Amino acid sequence: MPTRRAFLTAVGTAVVAGACRQNPPPFDVADFTLPARSLVGLFAATSYSIELADVIFRGFKELGVNVAGRRVFLKPNMVEYEPGTAINTHPHVVAGTAIACRRAGAAEVVVGEGPGHRRDIEYLLATTGLYDQLKDLGIKFVDLNHDDVRVVRLKSWFTGLSEMALPVELLRSDFVISLPKLKTHHWAGMTCSMKNLFGVVPGAVYGWPKNLLHMRGIPSSILDLTATIRPHLAVVDAITAMEGDGPIMGKPRALGFIAMGSDLPAVDATCARIIGLDPEKVPYLGPASHFLGNIAERRIEQRGELPSRYATQFDVVPSLQYLRLSQ
Amino acid sequence: MSSAAMDAQKRPIRSGRPEVTSGLREALLRLRNADGGWGYYPGKASRLEPTCWALLALARQSGAPLDIGLLQKWPREGDWLVDVKGAPINFAFNALAARTLLQHPDGTALAAPIATQLVRTRGLRLEQATALRQDNSLQAWPWIDQTFSWVEPTAWCLLLLKGLQESHPKSIPGEAGDRIRIGERMLLDRACKTGGWNYGGSNVYGQELWAYVPTTALALLAMQDHKDDPTVVRSLQFLQKDTNTERSAPALALAVVCLRVFGVDVGPFEQDLMSNLDLSRAMGSTVALASSLYALSETRHGMAAFIL
Repeated sequence: MPTRRAFLTAVGTAVVAGACRQNPPPFDVADFTLPARSLVGLFAATSYSIELADVIFRGFKELGVNVAGRRVFLKPNMVEYEPGTAINTHPHVVAGTAIACRRAGAAEVVVGEGPGHRRDIEYLLATTGLYDQLKDLGIKFVDLNHDDVRVVRLKSWFTGLSEMALPVELLRSDFVISLPKLKTHHWAGMTCSMKNLFGVVPGAVYGWPKNLLHMRGIPSSILDLTATIRPHLAVVDAITAMEGDGPIMGKPRALGFIAMGSDLPAVDATCARIIGLDPEKVPYLGPASHFLGNIAERRIEQRGELPSRYATQFDVVPSLQYLRLSQ
Repeated sequence: MSSAAMDAQKRPIRSGRPEVTSGLREALLRLRNADGGWGYYPGKASRLEPTCWALLALARQSGAPLDIGLLQKWPREGDWLVDVKGAPINFAFNALAARTLLQHPDGTALAAPIATQLVRTRGLRLEQATALRQDNSLQAWPWIDQTFSWVEPTAWCLLLLKGLQESHPKSIPGEAGDRIRIGERMLLDRACKTGGWNYGGSNVYGQELWAYVPTTALALLAMQDHKDDPTVVRSLQFLQKDTNTERSAPALALAVVCLRVFGVDVGPFEQDLMSNLDLSRAMGSTVALASSLYALSETRHGMAAFIL
């Protein structure tokens, strides 16, 4: 018998999925075109000490990513700090992506994050080592929680919201890369390139945690943010991922790859399958497949390594057992 | 004012770091926008929180009366001060702004209506959830309307309402006392097992979550009139012990302010604060620089903005 939370999550998923079948659906159909097929690359990266810029640059070439002349915004996942854990996107992955962007001709590279729990960005930048990495590279960091904001119209309305204040440094970029850590997530099912976008919501406007997104439904919020921001690329840190009670209290789990792709649902669905979760059951991925991207295996073309090389089964909290592929 | 706070006021403060404080003052003045306010970072639009911190710090450092002219002219929506046009009203920063206004004799007229609105504001009541070890029926203060109650807005609202209840009891509605008691209960309920507070969740799925130094300092300031409460005692111990592990200017500055109010020797923490200002300076973080200036200054104004 499912727990109450699993039941509610399943009901929430059904409601969000049902919203996609509404006529009209909660998004402007003309704004979205599903690709016939989506490229997702899995590139071996056995540790954080290898030349990650080379791995990511190779990904750019294999996936046809073009950042030449663009102002690129990198959005890593930085939530908390505790030694020995795998909570945050590793600073070397952030630095490697920045170097790869420069090598590919980006006009400017900016890194920004707005942690949902801690306000103290200085503490996180210093303890995670990200500040030192960016300083060495001469790359600007933007505190998205405290940036200037502009109220923008949302491109989908699963939350029932029509607009949201978003950071101007993000909005003025013309190429956004979501750079998550791959983790299980005790509310959302998993953290990957789409869930990572919670960090762009400014805490100084909406508070800590970003409770508006919880109250409006986590899957719905993920969909609205992804539809509105439309990141151009996902680069997933799955070198050491997190399983169990993520996004903070879970355990590190070595996987040894970086996942990349321009279709965020396709990247997240591939990562879900690798860690033993059914993308169709992840509350936001099923609805995303109606307008944001592909999640079906037959519509995803792999580059680099095959998913089977890394396939495993991550521990999840008891209430999320129903997400498993085998069930 | 509690006896510990009075003792803290009388005790000579080891500060007088003139080079550091004058450097912080100059940095703050450079960060000031043409409209007279401060953004969070250089070149950013003026916002309520950094403006209040800058005003409080500059007044404390100089010993001059706080200049509330800017807050008197601040864009309003009814009684509320508007932080971002088109965005929800931020209750935490309205409470901070009202508390700032109260540092000037003419500020009460603008602060009291904000406080009255805050008395009528409460977080959503949620169903009890087995995954969370907390009492979801306690409706303290949210950051914005239609959301749940959290530590930081509750702490700022308690500081404001407790202050007004003592200084101008007739300026706020009679139910303020009940709201204060709910806010206190909520803070005590959300404290972490180690003592201290994070954003407002102490245990999820049986896992004890970590307390943070800045939110602990703020919540303790709001609970300074309950210094014998076991949760407050434990949280003060956490702050004294763990401030060393969170070496950032924003954390250390609030910790110094709080520990001073509780009458604790802050010498070592002040030293740490002065050694950890580089990143704040590099980023040009107004709140970090201003709270540091406030913490490190020694003037006749004492810690007035934070003492009940």
